[in-house]
Order: sequence, then C-alpha cells, then structure tokens
Amino acid sequence: MKKLISPEELGRDDRFERADMMDRIADPRNATPPEDSKRGRPGRLTPDRADASDSARALMHGIFVGEIQALEGAGRTCYDFEVGKGDDDVPFELKLDMARQCWDEARHCEISVKLSDWMGTGIGEFSENAFLFQAACNPDPVLRLTGVNRALEGLAIDVFNTMREFGDLAGDPVLEFCEDWMLADEVTHVKMGSDWLRKLTVNDKERQKKALEFQKVVDKLFSFGGLRGEEDDNPIQLARRFRELAGFDDEEMEEIAELSREARAEVEERGRLAREANVQSGV
Amino acid sequence: MTTTVTPSTFTMVEYDAGVITGIADELADKVGLTGVDIEIEIDETVPLGRNRLESVDPVHIWVESGAFEDAKKFRQFSEVNAADVLGRHLMRAADRRSDAFGNPADDGDLSLEHRAAWDIYTVGRLTRLGYPANRQRWLYDFRNRHGFTDVTDRIFDELWNGTDLTWDRVSALSDEAAASNSGKLNRKPA
Amino acid sequence: MADSKKPRAAFAPWDRRELPGTFSVEETADRVGQYKWTEMKLFEALGGWVATVPELDIKMRLGTHCYHHAWHAELWHKRLPELREMNPERLTLPANDEFVAFMDAVTEPGEHDQTIEKLVGVYRVLIPHKIAAYTYHLNNTSTITDAPTIRSLKFAIADEVEDFTDGTLMLTSLIETPEEVERANAHQLKLEKLLVASGGICGPGTIGDAYDTSVHVAANGN
Repeated sequence: MKKLISPEELGRDDRFERADMMDRIADPRNATPPEDSKRGRPGRLTPDRADASDSARALMHGIFVGEIQALEGAGRTCYDFEVGKGDDDVPFELKLDMARQCWDEARHCEISVKLSDWMGTGIGEFSENAFLFQAACNPDPVLRLTGVNRALEGLAIDVFNTMREFGDLAGDPVLEFCEDWMLADEVTHVKMGSDWLRKLTVNDKERQKKALEFQKVVDKLFSFGGLRGEEDDNPIQLARRFRELAGFDDEEMEEIAELSREARAEVEERGRLAREANVQSGV
Repeated sequence: MTTTVTPSTFTMVEYDAGVITGIADELADKVGLTGVDIEIEIDETVPLGRNRLESVDPVHIWVESGAFEDAKKFRQFSEVNAADVLGRHLMRAADRRSDAFGNPADDGDLSLEHRAAWDIYTVGRLTRLGYPANRQRWLYDFRNRHGFTDVTDRIFDELWNGTDLTWDRVSALSDEAAASNSGKLNRKPA
Repeated sequence: MADSKKPRAAFAPWDRRELPGTFSVEETADRVGQYKWTEMKLFEALGGWVATVPELDIKMRLGTHCYHHAWHAELWHKRLPELREMNPERLTLPANDEFVAFMDAVTEPGEHDQTIEKLVGVYRVLIPHKIAAYTYHLNNTSTITDAPTIRSLKFAIADEVEDFTDGTLMLTSLIETPEEVERANAHQLKLEKLLVASGGICGPGTIGDAYDTSVHVAANGN
C-alpha cells in the first residue's frame, strides 16, 4: 500500500459525486453579493430562517462527508509516518491518539448517517468537496497534525456547536443530543492537536511557527469566505467557549475571527472585480 | 394561457427555458391550474435556492437559480428539483385561486408554521400525482416548525394524506400541532 | 456470624490457579514485543485502508477496528517495561523475516477494488492466527506470576473474536460470485503459505508443538 495519497484517491461508492473546487470558484454567480439578491443574505443558521430545515439538511450532509474525510485523515496519519524521532517521523503515542481519533470519526460518520436519515437526507444527496482531506495530505507530520487537529477539527467544533444550538432552538432532541456528544469528541481532538504541536516543536520554534502559519492558511480556507465567523450573519458561528476548552487562547481565537473577516472581504472583492469584468464584457 | 420563463436564455447556469416551461405546463395541467398565465422569473445570478410565489394572477414565481440546481453538479439543471419547487408553488396558486379552499394571508404574512403545514398538504398531493418526494425530509421540516411531538406527527400524516382540505382546516391543524410544542422558538412570519 | 479471626486457606477451594507456566520473563517479553509489532502493523494498515475502501460500512468498521489494535499495541507497549525491558522499542520486533514477508503481503493491497483481499488477509488469516496465538499464551502462562499479561490477553482476545465476526460478516457480504470465491481463496492460500513459512506471530512454536508427546507425559507426572 502506497504512502501519502491525494484526495483523488479516496475510495467512494457511486452515490458520491465529487465537486471540483475550480468549478465552484469559476461559477460566475459568485460575482453577485448575496445582499444584491431580492431576499438579502441568508444569515445565521437558526430554525426561524425560511429555509432552515433544508439548510440544516445540507449542512448535515457536509458534516457527514467532512467526518468521512476526518476519519480518512486520521487513518492515513496512522499509516503514512514511521515511529521515530526524525522530522518525518512521529512518536508511537501520537499514532495511538490518531487511531483513537479514527474510532471517534468512524462513530461520527455513523451518527451523521443516522442523523441524515432523521432529517430526510440521502447519502450522496449533495456533492462532496474534498478540500478538508487536503489538510490531511501534508507530508510534514507536524503541519498535517496542525491542519487536521487544530484547523479542521476546530471548524468541526464551530459547526457542531451551530447545529447543537439549532437543535436546541428547534426542540429537536435527537439532533441536540448527538451534536453535543460529537462536540465533546472534537474538543478532545483539538486539545490533542494543541498538546502534540507543543510537544513536537518544544525545541524547534521555527517549526512551530511554520505549523501555525499553515494553520492560518487552512483556517482562512475553512472560513469559506465568511460562512464561518463571528458576525451576526455568519451562518456558522465561532464557538469560543468550546475552543477555549480545547486549548485555544483569546489571541488565537481573535486571529481566527480576523481571518474569517479577511476571507469574507476577499470574496466580496473578487465578486466586485468579476462584476466589473462582466460589465466590460457585456454579460 | 401562456407560460413564460425569464430569462429566455441563460448565461450563468446551464438551464433551458423550454424544459422549464414544459415542466411547468405539465404540472399546471395536473394540479388543475387553468386559464391563467404563468410567469417564472429566475435570478440566475444567485446560486442560493430561495423562491416564492409572488402573485396568482398572473401566477408569478420567483426563484434563485440554486432552487433548480442539481445538488451534485454546479450550474446544472435538476428536473426533480425544478418540479418540486414549481409543483409546490403551482399547487398553492391553484389553492389560492379556488373559492373552496378559502383565503390564506399573503405569503409574506404567513407564519412559518402555517406555511409549513400548507407545504405538507401540497407535497402530499403532488406525490399522488406522480411527483415523488422524500417524506422524511418533509416530516423533519414540519417537526422543525411545530415541535418534535406525537401530536405533530399525527397531524403531519393528516396533512400529507389530505384531500380537499380548506385553508381553515390546514391552519387549524397547524395551530393544534404548534400548541403541543414546548420548544423555544420565537416564531415570526416567513 | 463468621469468625473473622478464623484462619482460611490462602487459595480458596474454587481458586485453582497454579505457579508453573511455560514462559520465562524473557520469553514473555519477546512474545509481547512481537505482539506489539504485529498489532502496530495491523492498526497502521487498517488506518491506511480506511481512505481507499469505497464501501461505506466497511470504511467505518475498519476505522473502529483500527483503534482496537492500536489499543492492544499500547497494552503490550506498557507491559514490556514490567518485563524488565526498559526500552520497549528494542523488543518491538517481528519474529523473523518470513513473518515480515507475511505482514507485507497482508497489508499490500491498496487499490479501491481490493477490499476482498484486504479483508481476507486480516479476517481470514491474521486475526484467526492471533486468536490462536493469544489463546495458546493465555492457556500456558503462569496464572499467578503472569496475571497482568493474562488480563491483557483476555481483553485482546475479546476484541479479536468480535472483530473476526464483524470481518466475516463483511467478507461474506462482499463475495457474491464464484470468481470472487476463487479470488478470496487464492489470496488466503498465498497468505497461509507465507504464515506457515514464518511459524506464526512468534515464529516456530507460536502455538507450541502438538506433536511433542512428552508434554502430556510430564503433565501426568510419568
């Protein structure tokens, strides 16, 4: 079995359809800022949104495929690196943690399938984007750990908390119960990532800096141009309380909030430029 | 009676106005919506999926392009999704134009619960006309609006299987389900 | 009411544990190190396969089983210092080169269409062999002096049996045609030959020698 696979090599059955990120970026509809639409921005995901249940279903499917990729990412970390003390190696105990995470993510997949049934969503009903797994492809174990356990799993904290609050507000006992359990696991995974980052780079500040820079890149990507953030109309809210439990300090959380604002501003700027280009080309 | 799709040619999504017209005409025929012009306005500049019935004479339906999009393929048309959205609006337009159904408030003034109850009654009838729907999806939507209770589920069945219901009956069933909900929502109009 | 000062037998009538065992401290440490090496190779491979297996239910089960074997590796890792091996890595070794070849062959299939081969290797060959090896160890070690190993063996065997059942169910559901039966059997045959050549997880003598009749004679005191 080969080491270090790419997202294109992930195994899926025929129900799954991979969305090409380039198609998404090239979609000319991105040029229209949501506030220009007749109905304005969709806003925070709460049950009193007109499209609440369908949006929650779509987000649930996103969680499901995200969990599959998180499972795959943790699994590959068990396999891709040898036990040792070199820069390309990992400690035995880190592998054990990743195997534990594998089990947790497998349960999250199972929970997500059951929740999708509960919400009326079929497996593969929505397209899958593999960019979460890209964070799990880094050949440097420290960068991979930071990308997966702090950025990806940090996003999972935000998403699960959003869904948990959604379930709580809607009075959905099943959704709230399950999201709360998954949230507990994700806090553990992020904490695991924070602890390993500290341990592995304790004598190599340059490596630590590089890992944190990589995390910033991934965190910005995972802000989805303003989908995740701290503004009132960000559908997915930054879950400060749970991130704090997972080892993020105020400064780090401030930084993620700022990255989200930057990501949103960049998307809006891209939209503006695309609109100008459309006007010039007569579209 | 004519059906008009705007725009007639799409530049941002791969939709065909003729196909959309065909779906709408077939649906209008099946739901008994006759003698009225139908206008379908698609905002192809927006990938979101919001949609609404804006008037019933003519029947004017406004959608964002995401409403008709294949959830698995960017910018590609989905006949199933188009039939789902158009079917609900056309069925509701037919209800609104029927004296026997009664007089619901304008869409903008309907509560989320009443709107959801009407959707269930609508989708239930569409399934019997040969337009398949995921029952669990609609049950989840109804529960979100009315609470996760046995009363809600019983009333969902009544609406889903209902025929010849009036607006008074649909709204009364919705009110009964909502009254059984101890949830925390502060409901507001859709 | 019983007199709490009244002397009782140190080993109550129902406690039949005995001092003698087949393995010395060193022999036990060697075996435990070989177990750890094997469990590591197994959990790493299961983790790696999770990404390339297309069948969703199998993907999720492998993720669960991955942790079972990682936990066994951890149990053995922690047992080694208790067996006077203060550097557990030193004894984290395969029994011999032939066993390495066997494990390489078990973990080698990596393609999407090789789920049958992946499962055959683990659930028809390796795990049944581990159940045999662990059971042999459990039944032959000193029930008093080596109680900590026994405890870990019992936990591991419980997992192995459960995973074997899971794996057999998955494999049975995947094999639907005569060609797939042959594919599975051919792969099993290849692996069984490699396993026999190695002598097993601990090399020759992994499960003792069933043809050594002197053991039975000695046990009867003759």
